Amino acid sequence: MKRVVILVGLCLEVGCAIVPQNRRVHLADPMMSFETDAMEAHKKQKFYNSREGAAGGDGAPAGGGCGCQ
Amino acid sequence: MSFRSLQFVAALLTILPRAYAGEPLSGPLSGPLSGPLAQPVPGPLSDEAVLGEPVPFHIESVRARYTNYDQYGHGFQSQAGPLGGPGSERVTVEQPQIEVVAKQGKFTHRLWIPVDVVTAASPDAVDVISTASYRNEAGSIDLASTYQYDPKTAYQLRAGVHLEEELRSWNFGLGVSRSFADDNAVVSFSVNQVLDWFDQFTVHGVRQSRVFRSSTNGNLSLSQLLSPTTIANVSYGVTVQTGVLGNTWNSVPLDDGTIGAEKLPRLRHRHALAGRIAQYLPWHGAIHGLYRLYVDNWGLWGNTLEVELYQRIARWLYLRANYRFHHQTGIDFFTTRASVDAPLRSADSDLAPFFAHTVGGLAVVDLPFRGSLNQLHLDFGYDRYFRSNDLHVNVFTCALGFRF
Repeated sequence: MKRVVILVGLCLEVGCAIVPQNRRVHLADPMMSFETDAMEAHKKQKFYNSREGAAGGDGAPAGGGCGCQ
Repeated sequence: MSFRSLQFVAALLTILPRAYAGEPLSGPLSGPLSGPLAQPVPGPLSDEAVLGEPVPFHIESVRARYTNYDQYGHGFQSQAGPLGGPGSERVTVEQPQIEVVAKQGKFTHRLWIPVDVVTAASPDAVDVISTASYRNEAGSIDLASTYQYDPKTAYQLRAGVHLEEELRSWNFGLGVSRSFADDNAVVSFSVNQVLDWFDQFTVHGVRQSRVFRSSTNGNLSLSQLLSPTTIANVSYGVTVQTGVLGNTWNSVPLDDGTIGAEKLPRLRHRHALAGRIAQYLPWHGAIHGLYRLYVDNWGLWGNTLEVELYQRIARWLYLRANYRFHHQTGIDFFTTRASVDAPLRSADSDLAPFFAHTVGGLAVVDLPFRGSLNQLHLDFGYDRYFRSNDLHVNVFTCALGFRF
């Protein structure tokens, strides 16, 4: 439990870092985006949701459709 | 140094401080410097002066994507094979999608229309849907509107309908996101509801009735800038499903040598916790990492690791290589030969224990233009998915987009 508290504390401490607007040039590169294209994300999500029982459950509703794809 | 050079340096030292102070100049260099440098600096420009008059409605982008899935493999839920043995899971899917994004004042609207044309061996073997089961078309219309309440807060509303030969589905969602600490952190929350209404068949293809399924989903996400080159994200999602949770024609080999229907619980709650990180690399590249933990009340656990490596080749071109590893335990009642009176049973290979790997790549071209067309987008990708219980899929994708 103590280790978990320390770990969470460290995460929060790191999370408090402030990056000024004028130092975000690399962060603005499309390569750094977690989701550059919503349709590509959908393609990926539907592919895994319909083939893996442990996919889905986050990001978008799982279980819509028959999953027979 | 010549005398003329010394004269020139002396003149510069005299004139430059006066020019920066905005004083009118005179003397030998007064001609070229008396224009803009001598004018007082104007006040700050308004938004309209920089961006132009606000446009009431503006199409921001139009994008189309086409994906082809080519799947081979075998599973015990399929009847496209010998009785009691694994049947074919041969499937091809053509999936065109189109997306239009428009701005309207503080609103951003996204209209999205995906279509699936599925050609599948398994339903054809059962002939569950009259004579047309070998080929099945499905389409959706989804509209999402985002309202930028203030520079830090955005609300989203989405609704959609999905039409399939023997299935009707409606979805509805609400979301909010808020940024903190000068946009260093963004917290998002969303809820979604999906209602499915579809035909129930026996494993021999006889239509029985209409049945119902509900999926309620909530997501909480936090994104945080960790450094000028690092972004991290953690998210948690929970989905509660009730009703008929299978496609109803999956079969299960029984120990008396016949086949029976799947028997699934009518409630499933699913939890997924994911952590992602993106790091910019000094050689104009980037690396993304993901870990995802999944658990549900059917006894299924999943672990997923994903790595994406990006490399910019030119200002308008970058490449991506990706690898994904997935492992899941099977559900508690997975079997390839069930007893006749088993209260719960499934032989669905997607719910079995397996290891899965995906290896792929993508090339992205973003060509800038001047005028009404700002950017032309092209991408081409390929993924190879293969897993330990006899399934492999080739996925080709390409996209064409215009940003105005």
